[in-house]
Amino acid sequence: MTYLSYAQEKTINGTITDQDGLPLPGVNIQINGTHTGTQTDFDGKYSINATVGSVLIYTYIGQKTEERTVGNSSTIDITMQEDAQALDEVVIVGYGTSTKREVTDNIASVSSEDINLIPTPSVQSTLSGKAAGVQVTQVNGKAESGIKIRVRGVATISSSQEPLYVIDGVPMINSDENINDSPINPLVSLNPNDIESIEILKDASSAAIYGARGTNGVVLITTKRGKAGKTKVSINSSYGWSKPTNKRDFLNTREYVDLFTEATINSGGTEDDAAYYFNLFAENEADWRNNEVDTDWQDLALVDGSVEDFGVNVSGGSEKTQFFLSTGYNKTDAIIRGNKLERYSLRSNIDHTISNKFKVGISTGISKTKIDRLSNDNSFSTPLQAIAQLPFSKPYEDNGVVPNGSTLYYNFLFQEYNADHQVNIWRVLANLYGEYQITQSLKFRSEFGYDFNNQVEERFFGSLTESASTNGYADANAVENEKYVLNNYFSFDKTFSNIDFNAVAGMSYEDDRRRLQSVEGQEFPSDDLQTVDSAAEITGGGSSRTAYNFLSYFGRAGATIAGKYILKASLRYDGSSRFGKDERYGLFPAVSAGWIISEENFLKNNETLSLLKIRGSWGITGNAGIGNFASRSLFGGASYNERAALSPTQLGDPSLKWENTSQYDLGIDFGFFNNRISLEADYYNKNTSDLLLDQPVPSSSGFTSITQNVGELKNEGFEFVLNTKNFIKEDFFWSTSFNISTNKNEITELPGGDIISGRNIAREGETVASFYMVEFAGADPDNGDALFVRNTLNPDGTIDRSTTNEFNEASRVVSGSPFPDLIAGLSNTIRFKDFDMSFTFQGQWGASIYNDGGRFQSASADYFDNQTSDQLDRWQQPGDITDVPQARLFGANGTQQSTRYLQEADFIRLRNVTLGYTIPSEVTKKFQVERLRLYFTAFNLLTFTDYTGWDPESTADFNSNNDLAVGVDFYSAPPAQTLTLGINIDF
Amino acid sequence: MKTTYINRIILSLLTVVLISCADNLNLEPEQSLTPDAATGSEKNIQNILTGAYDLAGQGELYGGQIYLASELLANDGEIFWGGTFSQPGEFNRKRITTTNSFVADLWIEGYETINQANIVLDNLNVVTEDSDKNRMEGEAKFIRGMMYFELVRFFAQPYETTQANNGLGVPIVLNSVTDASQIEFPSRSTISEVYSQAINDLTDAYNLLPESNEEFADKYTAEALLARIYLQQGNYPAARDAANDVIENSGHVITTTYEGAFNNEFNSTEDILAWQVTAQDGINDMNTYWSTREFGGRSLTADVSIELPYFDYFTVPDDRMDFFYEGNGTDVTTKWQAQFANVLFIRVAEMHLIRAESNFREGTGVGMSAEDEINAIRTRANADPIPGITLQDILDERKRELAFEGFAIHDIKRLHLNVGNLPYNDESLVLPIPQRDIDTNDNLEQNPGYN
Repeated sequence: MTYLSYAQEKTINGTITDQDGLPLPGVNIQINGTHTGTQTDFDGKYSINATVGSVLIYTYIGQKTEERTVGNSSTIDITMQEDAQALDEVVIVGYGTSTKREVTDNIASVSSEDINLIPTPSVQSTLSGKAAGVQVTQVNGKAESGIKIRVRGVATISSSQEPLYVIDGVPMINSDENINDSPINPLVSLNPNDIESIEILKDASSAAIYGARGTNGVVLITTKRGKAGKTKVSINSSYGWSKPTNKRDFLNTREYVDLFTEATINSGGTEDDAAYYFNLFAENEADWRNNEVDTDWQDLALVDGSVEDFGVNVSGGSEKTQFFLSTGYNKTDAIIRGNKLERYSLRSNIDHTISNKFKVGISTGISKTKIDRLSNDNSFSTPLQAIAQLPFSKPYEDNGVVPNGSTLYYNFLFQEYNADHQVNIWRVLANLYGEYQITQSLKFRSEFGYDFNNQVEERFFGSLTESASTNGYADANAVENEKYVLNNYFSFDKTFSNIDFNAVAGMSYEDDRRRLQSVEGQEFPSDDLQTVDSAAEITGGGSSRTAYNFLSYFGRAGATIAGKYILKASLRYDGSSRFGKDERYGLFPAVSAGWIISEENFLKNNETLSLLKIRGSWGITGNAGIGNFASRSLFGGASYNERAALSPTQLGDPSLKWENTSQYDLGIDFGFFNNRISLEADYYNKNTSDLLLDQPVPSSSGFTSITQNVGELKNEGFEFVLNTKNFIKEDFFWSTSFNISTNKNEITELPGGDIISGRNIAREGETVASFYMVEFAGADPDNGDALFVRNTLNPDGTIDRSTTNEFNEASRVVSGSPFPDLIAGLSNTIRFKDFDMSFTFQGQWGASIYNDGGRFQSASADYFDNQTSDQLDRWQQPGDITDVPQARLFGANGTQQSTRYLQEADFIRLRNVTLGYTIPSEVTKKFQVERLRLYFTAFNLLTFTDYTGWDPESTADFNSNNDLAVGVDFYSAPPAQTLTLGINIDF
Repeated sequence: MKTTYINRIILSLLTVVLISCADNLNLEPEQSLTPDAATGSEKNIQNILTGAYDLAGQGELYGGQIYLASELLANDGEIFWGGTFSQPGEFNRKRITTTNSFVADLWIEGYETINQANIVLDNLNVVTEDSDKNRMEGEAKFIRGMMYFELVRFFAQPYETTQANNGLGVPIVLNSVTDASQIEFPSRSTISEVYSQAINDLTDAYNLLPESNEEFADKYTAEALLARIYLQQGNYPAARDAANDVIENSGHVITTTYEGAFNNEFNSTEDILAWQVTAQDGINDMNTYWSTREFGGRSLTADVSIELPYFDYFTVPDDRMDFFYEGNGTDVTTKWQAQFANVLFIRVAEMHLIRAESNFREGTGVGMSAEDEINAIRTRANADPIPGITLQDILDERKRELAFEGFAIHDIKRLHLNVGNLPYNDESLVLPIPQRDIDTNDNLEQNPGYN
């Protein structure tokens, strides 16, 4: 007898929500043991045909997987629970992905939520305080200002200290193309709202796959992509009001006249002499005698600004094709007069599945950024130098329109009135990939990336500006930088019994070319004709081309055995045109291992300890951040009286090779109470040898330095990351993330001896770029002379700590480091019913900052520059105990470079506070709105520091590309404090 | 089958890419030449020689800072430094720090210029024509001798006429450096050795150079500089004869008006050598510091203005006394008013003053009597002749004629005068060896008075 049986198939419907009751789109539903499955739509609804008795598996990233057996009911609604095991989250690594659980590397991740909290046009700024061991510093308060990222300290003396930026798998152009020594952040053309996540590869085992450029860390930027399901439209609009985070106190007219009269008399002059000087710069005697003019020049330079940000993105797609389309507009009026930035951006990311084996996709980002720029910090025309002007000088003529031309220094207001400086940046980032599944476990992926950075910078200085003597000046400078990258690699993934094995092998070729054209002219017929076309005299111009390339092979293999023993090894072989013929290739290996102890039987069911993992890694990375032809001796073109000439431009070392960094990292991860509390602790030790050093040579050779591989330095430190979920109730969620890290940097070998650049020194046994200067010892109580500690060597070998008023008798000493030895960040996220709140504190300790402008700003009235109010505490009569020497006009009383102008740069900053309110979806749904959130963000709300300058992080932009001249403030504007109101709408 | 087909495509793609990419690692710079190419042809040696003038004329050297340093070091109230730069301010106060960047630049660029001259001298074998070869050698030696004279005047104690001059001079480097292995760590030669080097170079230059050589150094430029050196040494007969040779044979004559000698975009008849400046290349840094913002200077009142004591040298009438303009409350010299004018180096008026002084001291009348010569200079400036001239009259005439042209400190040292309370040979009137070179060359000894 045959028995016919068939499974009874029925249609199951249902709605999936998260624990807050919100529908979850995109949840995967699969019938266990089959390939049949579906996804929930945008309303969290699904429908699937299944036989009674079969098991449905519901999976969604970040939520606990649920299983339901199909029974009689044709409706299965599920409220998914958040999975506290966040350690299973996906992590992007070089040429692939991994999971947090299986990673043996040290990688910091920052999500789009964190990125969107920071209202600045520069994407790197959003990383501040978010990642242990990563110091992010904006050079100064200009909108396009350069940003320095230092991962685990500074691992070089003369070559690049910047990490490698990789977007969607393709290395990015990251060269600052300014023409006036005021850097432009090369990533300012990226719209932060398009970014899904940023991972920072910090240790050698993660970065070594990027070989010669891994030493300074690798920043992997991943842009947002579409998901199958209902089309989602998101709108974000915000407006912010900015002001400077800090202003300083300067003398008003009364105080100025008093102090400078005193200073004139102290220098052997009379009151009449002082009056003569004052009259030179005042229009009328009454202006200074009767206080009739009292200009606050700082208020003219630092102004109220604003930040406007608008973005729309549309994402969605079918099973076969997914898309993410976005457009954004940002307008930032900086807090420095005349500095503005506008950015328009478009992005379209499309993925398509041709067959179950073949996938293709493209990511394209296009943007245009227009910036109204300022002169660098070391020019009279930069706004902040206006604080040197005298308080009784009027800013404008009596009509209030034309700036006053009779000021002590060039009046920067002419820049606004009679000059123009604008840069336009067009950036195209495109990346095409194809991925072919050769067998079930073997995959081939080919990526072609193209990055184009086109920058046109134009300046005009009219007949009333500093270019008055030539009836105006204009220039135009165009730079085209293009890079193409080809990556081809195989990925292999297979499970052999209890071993999960994965491997990657491939090659990469990168070609970077740069062209530049410039022209300049003077003698303009009219201030209304502002391009070089109208210049009667073309005074300069040029064009140049340069290139470099990299050819690399890489491989990586990893295995996870029994879910608890993890092993990984990688190898990269890099070749570059930048290096001498004999040293063109370098090999960069790395190995790492991890042990998830909590998977062992003796811990497996421990209620308290949910995760215990130890890991260790070692690897070698390189640094290739030197000039394109640094290994060669070169002659370049010159001219004399418009005749052609040649001169040596650099001295080369043909054996120049990669700078090598060997780094090991030991880490331990804990998870408690189902990972409600997780702790990561790491120790790292980074040794850099064969430093690419601009080794100073005696200048009697005709040269001052040569790039050579000499010396060694070391960075070591601890990093701790503590993440806690304090409450995860349905209507109250509170999580905290705290990171703290230490770094100790030491030059361990410097065979050529000290390298001194201005007030910074590279010296064996000291931190790179330590401050090196004469020690100031206050004012002599007897006569008000500035005193300095001799610090010379006594015959018996001790140090002479006596003081002298003769600066040349005092020796310079190492007097601080520009780098912090402790940095920390603390973030909290709180959701209460429909309200959300988050805030971040960041801080640093142990760094010093040198105010080079102090020699003019706080100089005991040495010159006519207006002085900071603290100069009123000057020595006046015998017995006065003060740090401010007697005021002496032209007396240079303590104005030499000394620790008088060196201060601690410790600070704690309330980086951002955000308050949000989401209108209940029952209300908004009536208007077809999925989500409507209103928010308020305060950025840089509070800064606690003892530094008396504008800001402990703001440093001189004109030498910000000099690796040694670090931590020097020179009329450097503070960052903006911005209060923003915004709205998010999702349809 | 489809799979293997695609696999084959992938494989062949990879092969093509890998092979073609490896070749691309050989890139050549497009704006630069290798030393072999740069020194391999006659034309390029000429280019390097021209480059030496470019270096010597830059702002840190004869473009202005050499003269500024001399005038400020000598200043005792005749000029006023009102600029914000602290480096010249240190010169003015005679309290110079070893890290003063103007001092370092003078030294660094000075030796860079010397190296450039040495590169020419070491590669003359590629020059085929003898006359070209001689000219190039002469010009290179002129530049090298000039630089050594300038360095030893600033960085060493004054030359003493009647002594051995065995004090510390500056390092003498005569071999070119174009690759790292050629770097030397020289110690300081004596003052007398450096003077000899300069005189030998300039004497060779005199013998090798043609009678005239456009805007570049010729025979008489070398001779004129030798006259200047002999005067500095107190070797008056030699100074007189050299100056006489220049005046008699070079063809250079004083301009008809005093004004005509200055602010020229093209050399005047008076210029034996001037550093060429155009709007496109070269720089007139004397204009930067000695003129008002209106004319291209750094400040409204000019960084350097002229004080009343200087005007005491004059009696009315004298065109040179009126060669000033008003700079927002200050008196500013007109000598450096034009922003793109050539920077004066040696003008024939100086030769007349050298010949007159030397004739007077030696009691001779080579070429012309001292009195006639001085009065000729005075007549050009519409000043009344001085009858029965004295040595002091001649020296004062130098102040009237050559002020603010970089002679001040060197004249004080040669004439054993004081700067305020400081005697001519005070340690603080000698520049320190730049700290960066003390740090990089253990064989260098610092000057006394500097730490």
